[in-house]
Amino acid sequence: MSHNFPYILLILLPMVAAPLVYLIGRATLRKGEIWGMTFARLFTVVVLILAGIALYFTTQSAVSGGSINIQVGSVFLMFDGMGLLVDAVVIALALFVAIFSTKYMEDEDGEEKFYALLLICVGSIIGLAGSFDLFNLWVWFEVMAVSTYFLVAFYHDETASLEAGMKYLVQSTLGSTMVLFGIALIYSQTGSVAMADVYRSLANPLPLVGLGGLLMMVGFGVKAAFVPLHTWLPDAHSQAPSGISAMLSGVVIEAGLVAMLRMISILGHANIPWGLILLAFGCLNIFLGNLMALRQTQVKRLLAYSSLAHVGYMLLGFGFSMTFKIMEGAQGAFFHMMTHAMMKGLAFLAAGALLYALFLSRGEHSALTLDDLNGASRKYPITAFAFSAAVLGLGGLPPMAGFMSKWQILLAGAGTQNTVMIIIVIFAALNSVLSLGYYAPMVNRIYRREPSDAVTQGKPITWQMALPMVLMVLIIVLMGVYPKAVEFLTSNAAYSLMAIFAG
Amino acid sequence: MVKILIALTICIPWLGALIVWWVGDKHEKLQHILAVVFSVLSGAASVWLLFNAGKDAVVFFSLGDYFGEASFVPNGLGVFLSVIAACIGSLAVIFSTNYMKGEESLGRYYAYVLFFIGSMVGLVLTSNILLMFVFWEFTALCSYALIAFHNDDPKAVAGGVKALIITSIGGVGLLLGGILIFVTTGSYDIDKFLAGAGQIPAGILAVLAFGFLIAAAAKSAQFPFQTWLPDAMEAPSPISALIHAATMVNAGVYLLARFFPAFEGVPYWREAVMAVGMVSALLAAIMALTASDLKRVLAYSTVSQLGYMVYAIGAGNVYASQFHLLSHSVFKALLFLAAGAVIHNIGTRDMRQMGGVGKQMPFVKWVFIIGALALAGIPILNGFWSKELVLEAGLKGGPVWMYAVMVAVAGLTALYTIRCVYLVFYGEPRSEYHAHPTGAAMKIALAPLAFGAITTWLLAGRFSLLLGESTLPFHKIEPFGLREMFHEVLSIPTLIALAVIALGVVLWLIRDRLEGVTRALEWLRKASVNSFGFEAVNRGIVKATQATGEGLRATQTGLLSWNVLAILVTIILLFAIYALGA
Repeated sequence: MSHNFPYILLILLPMVAAPLVYLIGRATLRKGEIWGMTFARLFTVVVLILAGIALYFTTQSAVSGGSINIQVGSVFLMFDGMGLLVDAVVIALALFVAIFSTKYMEDEDGEEKFYALLLICVGSIIGLAGSFDLFNLWVWFEVMAVSTYFLVAFYHDETASLEAGMKYLVQSTLGSTMVLFGIALIYSQTGSVAMADVYRSLANPLPLVGLGGLLMMVGFGVKAAFVPLHTWLPDAHSQAPSGISAMLSGVVIEAGLVAMLRMISILGHANIPWGLILLAFGCLNIFLGNLMALRQTQVKRLLAYSSLAHVGYMLLGFGFSMTFKIMEGAQGAFFHMMTHAMMKGLAFLAAGALLYALFLSRGEHSALTLDDLNGASRKYPITAFAFSAAVLGLGGLPPMAGFMSKWQILLAGAGTQNTVMIIIVIFAALNSVLSLGYYAPMVNRIYRREPSDAVTQGKPITWQMALPMVLMVLIIVLMGVYPKAVEFLTSNAAYSLMAIFAG
Repeated sequence: MVKILIALTICIPWLGALIVWWVGDKHEKLQHILAVVFSVLSGAASVWLLFNAGKDAVVFFSLGDYFGEASFVPNGLGVFLSVIAACIGSLAVIFSTNYMKGEESLGRYYAYVLFFIGSMVGLVLTSNILLMFVFWEFTALCSYALIAFHNDDPKAVAGGVKALIITSIGGVGLLLGGILIFVTTGSYDIDKFLAGAGQIPAGILAVLAFGFLIAAAAKSAQFPFQTWLPDAMEAPSPISALIHAATMVNAGVYLLARFFPAFEGVPYWREAVMAVGMVSALLAAIMALTASDLKRVLAYSTVSQLGYMVYAIGAGNVYASQFHLLSHSVFKALLFLAAGAVIHNIGTRDMRQMGGVGKQMPFVKWVFIIGALALAGIPILNGFWSKELVLEAGLKGGPVWMYAVMVAVAGLTALYTIRCVYLVFYGEPRSEYHAHPTGAAMKIALAPLAFGAITTWLLAGRFSLLLGESTLPFHKIEPFGLREMFHEVLSIPTLIALAVIALGVVLWLIRDRLEGVTRALEWLRKASVNSFGFEAVNRGIVKATQATGEGLRATQTGLLSWNVLAILVTIILLFAIYALGA
């Protein structure tokens, strides 16, 4: 087995499987048979498990045999710590989402497209995380964006979904155009789009390169939901099928952030205080995200706003690291990326399970409001517990993992021993308390005794939905109680980011 | 051995929490039995640990480069407070088997109670400041879940969320302190920090000291964070006993006591601590005098008594503060459980509807009176000795005017206590109620506490040895036997204090003749019923935050053209900043 083989497999598996899933599902559905769709569901789950195995072996051979890279023509892919972390998160979350969706999306119109698009989304993020060439980065980024446009507007008979999809499409495309323009500017100045070349030729800062960098920052920032570029997010995340909401909040917006970090890391000499810009956006995101979430009445919309705040925490971590050339902040931010993916993913899945049991399974497309949560624990104890663990974890309560990752980010901020940074730390901590102001009452509602009408009429939740939720609760608590378990991932990711940046 | 005992004291209740929860609400009897068994076992483990106190930390495992080690130290302060948490906690659990009989969601109730006890033990035993914060948040989580146990009651939910938010806001002080300790010393270890506190830059040490004071004030419901504790009275009564006597509020006092050796030299810190304690003691005593809800009276008295402990720490006498904590835990648990028995049996908390309860519940009446006498500081109950020690400490370590205020508060304490006892147990019934007989489990829980309220002061000598050099290396607490205590307490200042206490009692007895005074003080009564404006401030902050959130919704226009404009404006702004900078 060749040194690079597992990595090639990792890249190819989801991308090759996606059309297969679609074709098999489509062909049999036309004939009115159902075995094809059952196969497609299982096949998606198996492919994601295989991708996970491939990732494991890729890591093994990277540890034992050194650098792993693939070059096909001008397409250059490399496997590093950041890629490993992103791949691990996206595969794990997608696997849970796929298992969950086997019930949630069962017999939906266009189910075969759902799995195919999900796999494309996973594949494109894996590709994006391994790109070391600006143009390829952009191409992977666009593939990811296109796959999610369709997923957001999946319920294409619902006007709200279409509206959400449309806004997402327009704003994201505007961002992509900016990115492309930025790349063009950089290419015009340096004559190359390979990251290593760009980095080398930028020993002396050139003004147009700075402009290109800022364009790319805003472009990727649209996808990463920087305030005030975020306005597409609340609609898109609340209208998408719940599994996709989990993917969007858990990894897709973070993929935008990762792409931006790759870009920033080669423009470190560009005479732009990247770290300070990230800190400014981070504070904005935390503040606005929390305050907007405070007054929401729809559960998924509330969770969408809280994603803004959590992106803000990651931005703070990266900002601390880049401003003061330290590792801890980036490590904490990557840790938060992992914990947030699991916690927010779980929150969306649990909300989705309730949405499914209360409305979708009865053929209603209605939003899950806070009032519908009342007394849900009486009928759905596992879902209620999972949801509570997820939102309290998001609010930063131990033993859930969100506490540890936030702690590490704040630790980095205080470690700078800079007064302004310490004020930012206090600000972030107080905001975390503020977030409990909307998370905690949801938990109280769930544990009421008097169930809401919707709960009384609700249908049961099946094991396909319960299994991923239980596993995610375990992972969240494990990462919170024993953070060392994932230190390997976060420290390597931080190293690959900061080594290029500082070196 | 120590390692096993520590693990047992923390993990037995946690394991019990899981099992009781697992058993499910269909097996109510089994849940009661399991909860009692696990809490009593953890109490036994904690008492065993008491005899194995020492100053060396034991390490369980490493948490990672940035999180330190899971290390615990069985020092005198820690084992003392874990005994309080586990033993008084187990009495509250025993009491609950009667009180919560037939309630729904018992699994959740007991699981949180047991989790609470274990977390409090962890909080006082750990020597890793990060873990301390983790346990700190655990106790916040548990108190929130238990105060809001009746989730259908919006007042209970509001009380629970309020407790969570206010203690978490204070928690930010501890969080910042913990992080700064790691940043400056490279370790989370508390004892290492105490040993090397002299080398820490003065500015950072001051931030730590005042950060911890904020955290402690929020947790122990001290000025200006006292508002959450009265609202926490929506909890079932055994939970109030648990929060007020065994867990939760003790954590704040513990925090100040534990870190006292490092902070005592920080300019103005001790003065600030004394002031916080004094203001809390005074305000809460006035509020206790005007409240009409039995549990609220007790809640205010907790704030007031915690004020005494905080004041003693500020005055530099950690021993007196912890000794008062011991007395307070015993008599306050007794008072809350007895009040719980009254409330459970006659079905109201409003003292205006009680009266004459003593005739129907003689046992409860007598134990309540014992607790009340201890609270009022009447000789020879435990509250008398410890309160006098606190006052002596204040006289020696602080300004005389503060001492005078604290003595006056002791008089107020006697006044509101006797008022409470009279309104509940004596006189004629002021409403139609029918008292049920007191349950056996309730009596079992009350009897040892009543005994304790009369006798725990005899432990003064042992207690000083427990907090001595060999088990609490940085506090320099001298052995202090009964003889020294007699010598210290039986002095002129005590006579003054006793006279003031007696004056408080007399004021109640001649209250009919003082109507003019009462009318003159009407403004004060009104202010105190409105909690001196603190509730209004709380409400204002909440309203302002919500209004900001509501106002910001305007930014989410839902119109694509505005959204795109926001993107374009951002890029133009960034360009402009870049152009100006370059």
